[in-house]
Amino acid sequence: MNIQVNEKRPGIFVVSLAGELDMSSSPQVRSVLLPIFRKKVSHLIVDLAEVPYIDSSGIATFVEALQLARKGNIRFSLAGAGRTVESIFDLAYLRNVFEMAPDVNRLIDGE
Amino acid sequence: MAFVGFTGPIILDVPADPAAMFLVRALVGKISERIGFEAEEIDQLVLAVDEACTNVIRHAYAGVGAGRIILTFTPSSDYFEVMIRDFGKGADPAGFEGRDLDELRPGGLGIHFIKSVVDNLEYTVPPGGGTVLKMMKFMPKQEKHKIEHTSQ
Repeated sequence: MNIQVNEKRPGIFVVSLAGELDMSSSPQVRSVLLPIFRKKVSHLIVDLAEVPYIDSSGIATFVEALQLARKGNIRFSLAGAGRTVESIFDLAYLRNVFEMAPDVNRLIDGE
Repeated sequence: MAFVGFTGPIILDVPADPAAMFLVRALVGKISERIGFEAEEIDQLVLAVDEACTNVIRHAYAGVGAGRIILTFTPSSDYFEVMIRDFGKGADPAGFEGRDLDELRPGGLGIHFIKSVVDNLEYTVPPGGGTVLKMMKFMPKQEKHKIEHTSQ
């Protein structure tokens, strides 16, 4: 799993993931994602455009992130999910729980 | 009529290690595709088998150390059967109960995924310990046939 973190604008962080998000890679993503909530952050976006697959451990990581976001009054969004990843969120009945956007740029431009 | 030009099961014996699960996913995807499942069903089958193996790693082999998972794939033109054999601590039946999805919390999703996707799910404790989990997914036309047959 390749993970890149960019602060695109002050307080707006984008975490770009590339690779399958499964039990093997989720701990690595979690260890990068969750500490960002301790920074000065107003909006955290996870770019899933290069993630072809996600399992329950990956979704659990995002649920945990969403809970931290809600506690800290921080906006948390998922962007660029492909058909497979979206259908897995559907199967979990979680697609409407998360803010999901077609791509990162549209989210940032809307700020 | 054989769907892939051969009959009989395919057996995959892998380490109970998350890093090996990509092999399981690749094989489930290829076989499901060849049987003729639709793209969304293939994704879901891959997820269901992956989650079952994840459960084995997380629970059956928790604290046991290195173990193996043996998957037996039996494809046909009408259905796909997957048997998952482990030699771990044995299944807790409560572990196969779904959870309340209204509650937003991490974890516990795996068994929900499995139950949502497969048509039949059963587990047995074979002699020698461990667990055998058997899951079946019918082709949509077969499901339709079953429903029609039942309603007559």
